[in-house]
Formats: sequence, C-alpha cells, structure tokens
Amino acid sequence: MTLPDEGKSLPWKNDVVAARRGDHSAFASLVRSVQRPVYGLCLRLLKSDAEAAEVAQDAFLRAFQNLHRYDEARPFDLWVIAIARNLCLDILRRRAKVHTQDVEEMKEVLPAGDETQENRAIAREERKSLEGALATLPVEDREVLELYYVQKRTTKEIAGVIGVAPGTIMARLFRAREKLRKQMAPRELS
Amino acid sequence: MTNTECPELELLFTELSEGSGASLEHAKSCERCGEFVSQHRELERELFRLADPFPPSSFVSQVMAKVAGSPVSKYRELKVGLAIMFGAFALALSVLIFGGGVGQVGILAASAVVHSQTLLVGVSSAISALWTTAAVPMLLSLGLVLGAALFALKRLMPGIPQFSEVKISS
Repeated sequence: MTLPDEGKSLPWKNDVVAARRGDHSAFASLVRSVQRPVYGLCLRLLKSDAEAAEVAQDAFLRAFQNLHRYDEARPFDLWVIAIARNLCLDILRRRAKVHTQDVEEMKEVLPAGDETQENRAIAREERKSLEGALATLPVEDREVLELYYVQKRTTKEIAGVIGVAPGTIMARLFRAREKLRKQMAPRELS
Repeated sequence: MTNTECPELELLFTELSEGSGASLEHAKSCERCGEFVSQHRELERELFRLADPFPPSSFVSQVMAKVAGSPVSKYRELKVGLAIMFGAFALALSVLIFGGGVGQVGILAASAVVHSQTLLVGVSSAISALWTTAAVPMLLSLGLVLGAALFALKRLMPGIPQFSEVKISS
C-alpha cells in the first residue's frame, strides 16, 4: 500500500519504477521534470549552449541505463545532476585551455513580473554583468553558486551532489561569493 | 569600535546566513563591516534572482531518441534472460510432475545406463512408452521450452526485425 505522503515526497517514484520496466514515456516525463536544472548546471559549468545540451542529454542517457542503481530514497533530480556534473568535469579536464575571456552570453531567463520596461532593462544589464562575472570564476565556485543561489539547494543537498561535508560547502560559498564580489567591484566602479 | 576588533569575514558570513550573532551586532556599529554586510546582501539578492535557462525545445525528444537507440543494459538483459529461463524450467518441471512423466523419464534413463548394449532399442521403446503413457505432458513441455527459448532469443537480439517488418522480396 502507498502512503499518502509518499507521492508528495517522492514524486518521481512511480515514473522511475515504470521506466525501469522499460516504459519510455515514464522516462520522458522524468526528463521533462528535471531538464531545466540539469541543463542549467551544464551551461554554467561548460559555458557553451551546444556542449551543455549534449552533456545534459548524455547524463539522462546514463541515468536511464543505470536506473537499477538509483536509490529511490534520494531525490531523482540530484542524482541526475550529480551524473551531469561528473560528465562536465570530465570535459573540463579534457579541455586543453579554458578561454575565460570568451564567455558566451547567457540567455534571458527571468520572469518579467510587474517591472516597468526601464527597470527591466536595468535589471537585464545587471544580470548580464553578474552572469559575466560568474562565468570568470573557477568551476568549483560556479557550481556551488549555481546550486545554492540559482537552484536554491540546501548546503546538505549540494554536499551530497559534490561529495563533501556541508561545512565545506559553506566555506566554498563564502569564498566564491567573496571572489564574485571582488570581480563585480571594478565593473561597478567603471 | 576600531577596525582591529572586526570579526573574521567567514564568521560574519556564517552569522549573516544564520541571521544573528555578535559579529552582526558589531557590523551595525562598524562602518567597514556594515558596508561589507550590505554589499553581500545586495549580491545575494542579485544571485537569488538568477534562474536556470530553459534547454532547447527539442531537448526531451533528443534525449528519448538517444534512449531508444541505446542498447538494453546488460543488467536488464541478464535479469530478463534469467527470469525467462527459470520460468520456462519451472513450467516444464511442473507439467512433467503433474503429468506423471518424471517417473517414466527416470526409469528410461536407468534402463539406458544398465542395458547400454540395447541402448538404441531402449531409447526407441522409451519414446514409445512415453508417447503412450504421457504424450500430452511431454508435448506440452517440449512446446513450452521451445517457445520460451525463441522468446528469450528474440529479447536478447533487439536488432532482428519483427514478423510484421519482414518483407519478402520477389
């Protein structure tokens, strides 16, 4: 018998069980539900639309091929994110040179809300500047900032994905934010 | 309060996350720390406003194309193969037991060993004896084993076309 809370706390469980039996539509539903954070992290780490899409697709393919290894008690999205992160790190290790100056501009992503056109333009510029500064940070800083601020994960969840203690995440967040603040300071002055 | 008494930035950050603490209290009266705290709060506000971009619209279909084109995992292959094998074995065994064919098979095997010189005669008489005493269970068992083996073969070779897909060239 299924407990009433089970469906709420493990929303992916039924789809995972069905996908394990070979139900492709159930797996497609899982992909739809977590594609955005997985692709978002890949894009943040790789800084290339095409590569991010390719790696995120590979992450889902690996997830499908290894569904029997997935622990249903863990959040499915974090499991796929961990796979995607490892794939991204492999690519970054293989890259001979990192072009920190050749930063692709990120897409426009924020909902408009009730802002006026002028305010929206200012906000857009600020975000562009922030995205640019973020992109210049080392990969370990980008990943914690992406997971904590953009994806709103807890330090415990991030620690699970990266495989370190939550305290280490706190320290990394501090250092990353400090670097970002310093990175932003000269731009603001100019 | 002087700058020498300012807390470590990491401590200030931790208290900033927690929402209270002595360092935060200090920041209220210290211009340098207060400036630091306000800068961090501003940065946090900006960071929290960022959101992940949407992947390309064809993303899900591309993932599913890769999934459909990927070979079946070895684990699933093994699991399905073993399940089919044990299932067929159990079914054949149960048909033999409930059909009374096991005793016949045992007697025939013993007689084949003891009377090896008359093996050929024994085998033929065994077949005829089986046919007369347990023809239906024997046929059922053979049919089940054959059917299960064909099904397992088909599952383990996903590349072979379906019956409906086979075209007979003239």
